[in-house]
Order: sequence, then C-alpha cells, then structure tokens
Amino acid sequence: MTDIATRANRVVAETGGRRRHYGGGPRAGTIVAFLTPFFLPFVLFYLVPVGYAIWQSFLVVRRTGGQYGTSYTTFGGFEQYAQVFQNTEFWSSIGRIGLFGIVQVPVMLLVALSMALLLDTPLLKIKPFFRITAFMPYAVPGVIAAIMWSYLYSPQVSPLVDVLKGIGLQPDFLGPGAVLWSAANVSTWLWTGYNMLIMYSALQSIPQELYEAAKLDGASNWAIAWKVKVPIIAPSIVLTTVFSIIGTLQLYAEPAVLRQISSNISSTYTPNMLAYAVASGNNYQQAAAISVVIAVITFVLSFGFMRLTSKKAGL
Amino acid sequence: MSNTVTRIRLAVVAAAASVAVLAGCSSPAPSGDASAASCEPAKGKVTLEYWNTVPGMDQVVALWNKKNPNIQVEMKNISNDQYGTIGNALKAGKAPELAQVGYDELPFLRTQNAFVDASACSAATAVKSKFVPWTWSQSSFGGTGVFAFPQDTGPMALYVRSDIFTKHGLEIPKTWDEYAADAQKLHKADPNLSITFFDPNNAEWFNGLLWQNNAEMYKYSGDKWHVTAASDQSKQVAEYWQKLIDAKLVRTDLAHGSTQMYTAYQKNQIASYVGAAWGYSMFRDNLPKQAGKWSIVPMPTWGSSAASGDWGGSTVAFMKGNTHLYESVKFNSWLNTDPEALALENKLGGLYPAATAGSELPALSQGVEYYNNEKIFDVFAESSKNIDTDFSWGPTQKTVNLALQDAMAKAAAGDGTLNDALSAAQATALKSMKDQSIPAVAGK
Repeated sequence: MTDIATRANRVVAETGGRRRHYGGGPRAGTIVAFLTPFFLPFVLFYLVPVGYAIWQSFLVVRRTGGQYGTSYTTFGGFEQYAQVFQNTEFWSSIGRIGLFGIVQVPVMLLVALSMALLLDTPLLKIKPFFRITAFMPYAVPGVIAAIMWSYLYSPQVSPLVDVLKGIGLQPDFLGPGAVLWSAANVSTWLWTGYNMLIMYSALQSIPQELYEAAKLDGASNWAIAWKVKVPIIAPSIVLTTVFSIIGTLQLYAEPAVLRQISSNISSTYTPNMLAYAVASGNNYQQAAAISVVIAVITFVLSFGFMRLTSKKAGL
Repeated sequence: MSNTVTRIRLAVVAAAASVAVLAGCSSPAPSGDASAASCEPAKGKVTLEYWNTVPGMDQVVALWNKKNPNIQVEMKNISNDQYGTIGNALKAGKAPELAQVGYDELPFLRTQNAFVDASACSAATAVKSKFVPWTWSQSSFGGTGVFAFPQDTGPMALYVRSDIFTKHGLEIPKTWDEYAADAQKLHKADPNLSITFFDPNNAEWFNGLLWQNNAEMYKYSGDKWHVTAASDQSKQVAEYWQKLIDAKLVRTDLAHGSTQMYTAYQKNQIASYVGAAWGYSMFRDNLPKQAGKWSIVPMPTWGSSAASGDWGGSTVAFMKGNTHLYESVKFNSWLNTDPEALALENKLGGLYPAATAGSELPALSQGVEYYNNEKIFDVFAESSKNIDTDFSWGPTQKTVNLALQDAMAKAAAGDGTLNDALSAAQATALKSMKDQSIPAVAGK
C-alpha cells in the first residue's frame, strides 16, 4: 500500500506539480483513498487465494510413524511441479484440449461473426427476436446445457438419434472418436450467441457515414462487411478469441457431465478435471501445482495471441 | 507498455507479500489419533452435529431429539459433495461430531487424522456384537479402536428376470461359469438380449466382485501397506468379465442408475442385474411395470462354497475434535442398533442395516410384493454372512478407484484389458501412497 503512496508522490514530483487547469496534481492521500475500495477486496479475494494456491504448490506431505502416523506439510521446492511435468495424463489432457480449441474456437467465432454481420444488415427484419434467440443458450447454465445435450446424444432416449437412424445413419455421439466433438458442440451451442452479441455491439457503434461513403465508392454489401466492418470490430474479435482460449483451457462442466453417460471420458480428460480428481484424493499440493501450470499456460497462450494480433487489430 | 510492466510488478509484489504472510502459517503437525479421549458425560445440555447423505434422516433425528432433550442433534445433508465437505471441514478444523463415511473411505480419512477413537467409552466397545462381523472389523480397523459404528451395508446378490429365464429355458446359475453359459444361450436366442451390463465407470461395483473372490488387495503388516491389486483372485474376475465383453455378451454402454440403464431394462434388453441390497427399491420404484417379474437369488460363486461381496454401505464416524464422546456414542448406537430407528431409516432412506437386529425388522422379514412376495431380505442376510471379513480398503482408495475406472473404460472400448486395469490400480495405489508419504510395497 505504501508502495503506491511513494509511487504517487514520485508521480507528483515528476510532473513537477505542473499546473493543470483544475489546480494541483492528485495528492497521494487522494489516490490511496480512491484505490482502497478496489484494492482491498482485490487483495483479499483475488491475490490472497492465488498466493495461497502458489504456496500450496511448493509443499509436500510427510508423515511420521507407520500406517496412520501423523501427517504434516513441509516445503518441498519444485517437487510437485516435477511431478506435473512427468505426468503423462496431464500432457495428454492438454493435448486433447489443444485439439478441441484449434477446431472449436475458430468454428464458433466464424459462426458468431457471420451471425453478427447478418444481424447488422438492413435485409434482416425482426432483429430483436433473432438477437434474443441466438443469445438464449448463454442464459442456460453450462451444467444444465450439458445434461440437456447428454439426453440428445444418448442412444436409448434421444429423439435425435432416432431421427438420424431413420434416415439410415448410425450416429455414435459418445464413441471414443466422437465424444470430444460432442462436448465441443455443447460449448459452441452455449457460447456462440454470447460472442455474437459482443461483435454485434461493436458493429452497432460504427457510424453509418462510413457505409454511405463506401457505397458511394461502389462497394457491395459483401465488400462493406469484409473490408469495413470486420477490420473495425477486430478488437472485439480478438477479445472473444482470448475469452474462448481461456474458456477452453478451463473446460470442465461439459465433459464432466457427459462422463456420466459415456465411458470414453476419463476422470483426467481435461486439465481441470485432472486437478479436481487429484484434489479429491486429498493431494491438494499436487492439485495446486497442476492449477498453477494450467494458469501459466493459459496466460502464455492468451497473451501470446494478443501480442500476435494487437498490431493487426490496432489494439 | 511500461504501464503494464508496472502493474505486473505490483501484482508480483502483492502476491509475494501474501505468500510471505501465509508462509508464517504453514500447517502445524496435527496430533495423532486422540487415544486419550475422555468419556465424561457433559453437564447440562449438549448439541451434536451430524452430517449425512441419507434421504429422510432428518425425521430419524427429529425422533431422537424429541426423546432426548439433553442431547440435541443438528443434522446437515451433505449429499452434493460428501467427502469434499468433510475434507474441507477437517482442513478448517471445523469437523462435526459425527459424519457418514463409506467403508471404502475409512482408511483414507484415517490417514488424514479425521477420526477420534471412542474406545474410551465402554458403551462403544460393548456394541460390537450387535453388528455383522465384517462391518465391525472395518470400522474398528481390525479391532484396534472404535472409530465409527456401521450403519448400512450392500451385500450383493443376483437379480433375475425369471420370465425371460423361463422363456429361454435357463436354470438359475449357481456358478459364474453357468452364468457365462446362460449369457451365451440368451445372446444366441436373441441378439438384442444381454444377460447383464458391465459399467466400466463403476469401480465400487467391481471391487464388490473382487471382494467376493477373496481378493485381498491391501494388507498392513510390519509398518507397511502391502498392495496386491492384481492378485490371481482379482485377475480371475477381470479375465472372466473381459471374455464376456469381448464376446459382446454384456452391454458396456450403460451407466449404473442412469436413465439409459432403466430404459434398457424397460425394453426387456437385459435379463439380470448383479446388485446390492439397496438396489431392491431402485428397481421397484423405477421399473413399476416389471412387478412380479424379478427374483433375487444368491450371487453365482467361483467355487463350490458360498461367498459374497459387498457393494456400498456406510458408517457413522466419530470425527476429530469430538469432545462429547459419551453423548455421541449414545446417539450413534441408538441410530444404528435401535429397532425403531432402523425401521425408519429403512423405510425413508432404503438403508439395509449393518446391525444384526436388522433382519428381525418387520419390513425386512416379510415378503416384498414387487418381488412376487418373496422374502428377498433372507437372501441378502445370507449373503451378508458369507462376506470375507479380512478384506480391507486402501488408504488412497478414492484415487485408486478413479484410475481403475479410467482403465476399465478403456478396456471396454477395446483399448487394453481389464487385467491392465488391475495393473493400473496397483501402480496408482503405490504412487498415491508415496505422494502422501504412506509406507507401501508391492506384493503380499
């Protein structure tokens, strides 16, 4: 806290108390007063738990005596991390999620973008209706959505499977090859409307004059969509991509629910499921280390993507 | 950019600070089993906390509270995350006086120093004779203390669709070999008909089958756990089911207790069910149209002598920090041995009591209408007597079960075999014990 105060003092010193039109520069006391309401909960409910998890990940359990001797935790350095890196289950779950993300994220965002662009054309009437229907799935909690879809996937009870069988197909939504994409489909169904809405809001803020100018230059609707609209809303596309990358790495609910009806989803199917399974065996320290590694990977990927695209997107 | 760097630096400083603060409070070594627990009755009124997952248990507790104004019990239902709730409460030092713990989780929680030994109370050791032997041997850890009272059990038996068996001219199978032969006959007669299903995501059920074959996976001697998850007895069971799976004689696409499972039974696609005592009400309530078509017979055996396994059931454990042992023992023994309480628990929660008095309950000694008025509970009582009392669970059973399930699911999908699943269980058992610094070796 005092760190901020000195920093603020330095700011005041550096600006040399340059007169702004509203009088003197901000005083350190003022800065602290304004920041405290944010900083206190931020530290308490964000930094402390994160710090605690990081701390846990450096501990190991030791035990004195035999069968039911007393256990205690002690500092173990990178022992837990070494285990994470040696854990083949962990890396295969990361690989699985990578495959999932590489396919699901672009597909979902392309669909969302197309829907947003369609909504934004004057051709479409009853916009509020379409907007609400596309957004509706987002109002359904992930677990409920997964349960709903698990009925549609399940061969014994699904009308969908019956219909597909009726036209001569043999769908196996829960088979070893298909189940990952069945989960991807649930995620896509849940999030497409939400991402569409973010893009659509960005489209709404584009001034109409731009379109008029483009039309005068003889641009078709198609050209306006791809050459004017998409570049302008690029930042929101980047944003939705980053959210989707983060969401993918934290995938839990959909596969965990589908696991109830498909034996092709293991308890370590996604990194988060693995962390949960390890924690449920009371190995909190290992679970914390897994979580930290997931967080670092998420951080690297999402920031990496931002760095890659920020120039293009003009962020 | 410089802005971001400053922000990140700030965050790192703050995080480091919080770590430093927390470093000051790493967990102190908890004391071991409170063997010196006292059994003094409290002066005045006592309130006990009791956590469980049994439907209708609130009414049983209400009955006790009405009768015992000085020992009031507050109960909390923790069925949405039983062991998560208990584990977190232990970590926070806020465990209830009494909590429901499954038999297979007892050793695991004991390694977390979750229990207190109630043997200081003479009343606690006196009830031993009131319970089925194997349940007492597990809740007392082979008679080394009293950590829990048994509540209910799941002695296993075979549920048979007698009409389907009659139609295809099948005898009731006495041995697993006969059962496999029946499976073959059924499938030949009608390819859409299977004798049963194998749920690869159900380690608890599979463990019950291993138990029946005297597969003693864990033994404690010489200050070490001896782990033999892939013993000859276990392999015999695994290879048997592998054969049935390979020949497509059992369904592997049904999760136990799921809508899909009931649908398959409803459509007359499955002719039997290898289940436990608590399953009788599941079938009765979910398949009402099949009333009168089901019979319950003893499990097929591996040899000529009767042997059975257990699937499920729980104990009510004395939790760490319990300072009202006298009152807890009083309530706990009433809860699990008093005929009135047992009858109520059976009626509301479908519990099959671990107390021997259970078989004398009116509800458990009459014929059951759904099952052709057969006295099905006699079959379960007999099964209960034939359960190996030396069987014990491992101290990391939950983790082992997850690994076993994952590997069983792979085997059912054609990737590896059930024998590989046993090896996976063995490897996971040793590794998870090492993680928890529990001394363990492979082999007998």
